[in-house]
Amino acid sequence: MGTRSKPAEILPGTLDLLILRTLDAGAMHGYGIAQRLKQVSDEVLQVGESSLYPALQRLLLNGWVEAEWGASENNRRARYYKLTAAGRKQLAVERGEFARMIGAIQKVLELA
Amino acid sequence: MRRAWRKLLYRLRRAQLEAELAEELEFHRSQLDSGQGGLQMGNITRAKEESRDMWSFLRLERLWQDLRYAARLFGRTPGFTMVAVLSLALGIGGNASMFSLVNTLLVRPLPYHEPGRLLRMTGVYPRAALPVFQQQSSSMDVASASPGSACNLTGEGEAIRVVESNTSANFLSVLGAAVARGRAFEPGENTPGRDQVVILSNSLWKTKFRGDPAIVGRSIAVEGVNRQIVGVMPPAFSYPSARVQLWTPARLDPSKMEEYWGGEYVPLIARLRPGATLAQARGEIPALAGQVRRLFPFPMARDWNAAATAISMQQDLTGDIRGRLIILLSSVGLVLLIACANVANLLLSRATTRRKEIALRTALGADRFRIVRQLMTESILLACMGAGSGLLLGRAALSMFKSMLPPSTPGLSSVEIDWPVVVFVAILALLTGVAFGIAPALSVAQVDLTESIKTGSQRSTAGVWTAVRSWLIAGEVALTLILVISAGLLMKSLLRLAEANPGFDPAHVFSVQISPNQAACSERAGCIALYDRIIAEARRIAGVSEVSVVNTLPLDGELPAIPVDVEGHPKSADYPAPMLWAGAVSPGYLRMMHIPLLEGRQFTEADSAQAAKVLIITRATARHFWPGQSPIGKHIKSAAEAQWRTVIGVAGDVRQFSLAANLPDFVGGAIYMPYAQSTVGARQGVEQIPAAMHLLVKARTDSPRLRGEIRSLAGDQAPNAPVGEVRPLEEVIAVSVGDFQSMIRVFTGFAATAILLAAIGIYGLVSYWVTQRSYEIGVRMAIGATRQRIVSMVFAQSLRVALFGIGAGVLGALACTRFLASLLYGVSTTDPVIFAAVMALLLGIAVSATAVPAWKAARINPIQSLRAD
Repeated sequence: MGTRSKPAEILPGTLDLLILRTLDAGAMHGYGIAQRLKQVSDEVLQVGESSLYPALQRLLLNGWVEAEWGASENNRRARYYKLTAAGRKQLAVERGEFARMIGAIQKVLELA
Repeated sequence: MRRAWRKLLYRLRRAQLEAELAEELEFHRSQLDSGQGGLQMGNITRAKEESRDMWSFLRLERLWQDLRYAARLFGRTPGFTMVAVLSLALGIGGNASMFSLVNTLLVRPLPYHEPGRLLRMTGVYPRAALPVFQQQSSSMDVASASPGSACNLTGEGEAIRVVESNTSANFLSVLGAAVARGRAFEPGENTPGRDQVVILSNSLWKTKFRGDPAIVGRSIAVEGVNRQIVGVMPPAFSYPSARVQLWTPARLDPSKMEEYWGGEYVPLIARLRPGATLAQARGEIPALAGQVRRLFPFPMARDWNAAATAISMQQDLTGDIRGRLIILLSSVGLVLLIACANVANLLLSRATTRRKEIALRTALGADRFRIVRQLMTESILLACMGAGSGLLLGRAALSMFKSMLPPSTPGLSSVEIDWPVVVFVAILALLTGVAFGIAPALSVAQVDLTESIKTGSQRSTAGVWTAVRSWLIAGEVALTLILVISAGLLMKSLLRLAEANPGFDPAHVFSVQISPNQAACSERAGCIALYDRIIAEARRIAGVSEVSVVNTLPLDGELPAIPVDVEGHPKSADYPAPMLWAGAVSPGYLRMMHIPLLEGRQFTEADSAQAAKVLIITRATARHFWPGQSPIGKHIKSAAEAQWRTVIGVAGDVRQFSLAANLPDFVGGAIYMPYAQSTVGARQGVEQIPAAMHLLVKARTDSPRLRGEIRSLAGDQAPNAPVGEVRPLEEVIAVSVGDFQSMIRVFTGFAATAILLAAIGIYGLVSYWVTQRSYEIGVRMAIGATRQRIVSMVFAQSLRVALFGIGAGVLGALACTRFLASLLYGVSTTDPVIFAAVMALLLGIAVSATAVPAWKAARINPIQSLRAD
């Protein structure tokens, strides 16, 4: 097959963590999350709709974020996501794990 | 849990979720377009799809989707679906029913306590052996039960004929079976004076005594002896066979020499004592048998039961049918294999024609796993439909298979399609589904996207899968060949049997059995007078031309053999008294049955009880004892009597015992005696005249009036004796080969199914091949190939596969048909005529299955086929 193009993607498994961390700062709509990730990461992390929205649905389903319709900066209806208590807990867990993993990888890269 | 709950909620407000998501995405898109983000990434459809997946019970919904899709597809191709489902139904149905039979009859343990410790001693033994075995064996508890013989049950309504088994008092406790009512025999009830008790079978209790709850304690007369009913067995009990209707204690009375040492020889059964092993039991038996041999009051062959051993009771009870069941099981297995190969082949060819569709779906973003799963779902659904209809078919097949086994087989009536079998069928269906689902799925997963979409149809066959299909079809042809050859051999046997001269002419002869108690004939003259009267009365019936009586009908399965002394053939320890089939006939019998008299004279009325005793022997008997001489004037006598009987005639041989084989090995020949002088062996030193006889009447026309008159005449003359049904003699013969015929019917059915499946397989392969190559054929024609050339190219393709299959099949058949040997008659297991005919038949089928696609290939229009792509 080999016809599917592969855009520069985020490390697998980290998108949920990145979204949760972004929302930790406050409620945001989907487009805002994408923009924020791009900005903060100096345009390294670029999230497409096809991975962002399914990920948001997954977080909703797990009860880690809540969604609410509101008005956007330019006065259009937009859906805002915010962290729930369970989401905050999950964020802590995932951060811890991520740090452990990164630390381990670093160690290997330096010493092995 | 909570996740699932939320999903359920989502399911309910799906439309709303869809709308919200659409709006959200629209917002996102508009933000991008307004230039703030610039770069557009990702695929909207995919975002929607994946979010949607997030909301749903994905697996279930996809399964449902796959199922719906498969069902729609089947609906569009009803021909394909029907052939595939039917193939599977035949294979699975046959297997379900055979598995039920094998499970109940061969695998399921006997319904007794610790059945694995039950044994049967090989050989048969006189009653005298029982106490020896019981007292001397240290490893076994020994019992006996005779196989069952017919006797009269009187004293309660109309006299009837029932089957009685003589048993040791302990036989129920050895078996570990319990009575349903009353009690088992008690120790000591084998001794004379205490033996007048009887246990009824459940069926006899139900039919004859209408299930009377107060039956225990009542008295009935069994063969003229009053016996008290002490027990009734439960319905499932059928030892030694389902024929037996009542059990009586075998009397152990050493003073009655004939009964104790002669009479009926019975099998011994035993239960291993706690701690004892089969090897210990086997070690004991030859010594015990040797001890019995030395106790005989007359000399026995030195090797009498010298090699006796013990086999498990299960093996003993299923011994006769084991071979037949295994043959049937393997042939339904073959049919299932053929069916699977066929369906795999059908699915494979369809998968290839669906390449374009699948390539398109892949291009639209379906992942490979999803497509493979769709194909698997299709084949499993197909398998389940096959299994469902197979189960229905299996019920019908089961009753057919049951009719092919002897009705006395223990446990046969309780066989039905049961739950373990349903599970077995389900697993079978799933396995076949997965098995033939995998090949097409793999074949599809290799689809080269751009290539497929560009060309639309295949220009050349995808090498490896076509090879797989050719192998499948060749294998199918090989298996079919084996089945058809087996069916052919059986059919030729039947033909041979029909041609076999039974030695008598059953046309227009009617028979009815009249069976007074043996005790009624203690006065020989009484019985002689009775049958004289019956013969005289029967002659008066309008339309009757000839009348006679005989003690056994040919091919009825009875074997009245007696030990004899033959003049010039002294007995020794190594050559004990030969056994001869003893016919007691009235003078008209041989003439009426058209049994030819080859030498000497017929019996006449003058050969009465007072006259000199005479015999007619069969030709085979004459040749056996006096080869190259005339037997007339030679002498034979029953081993127990003093006076010689003189041979006065030689009659043609008759298939007395079975059409396939004349007499069992231990019977050395056959003699006829005039009824008035006849003997069926001595009892207490007195020669016994047979009491139960068949009245034979020859009449041109069959009518209910005639049958009624014959029956009532017999009833009038012998008021206390059971009188059987009036049967045409031809029916008796038909029954004796019925077993064989039903076996042949099943095999023919298998063979026909296999041929049909193979024809479909070849047709499918070739027409697929032609479709695939239509472009190539077009090119060939465009550059000048003639139609003949194209046709022969197609035939070469199909015949190569068929010939490979036939070659392999012949080898397989050579290896397999010897297992049929016991069922064949007059045909070698490698009969060249059958082999050649079947090979030709299959080749012919391959040719005709190829004809249509070849014709289509020849009519391919080169212009069209070249433009098509």
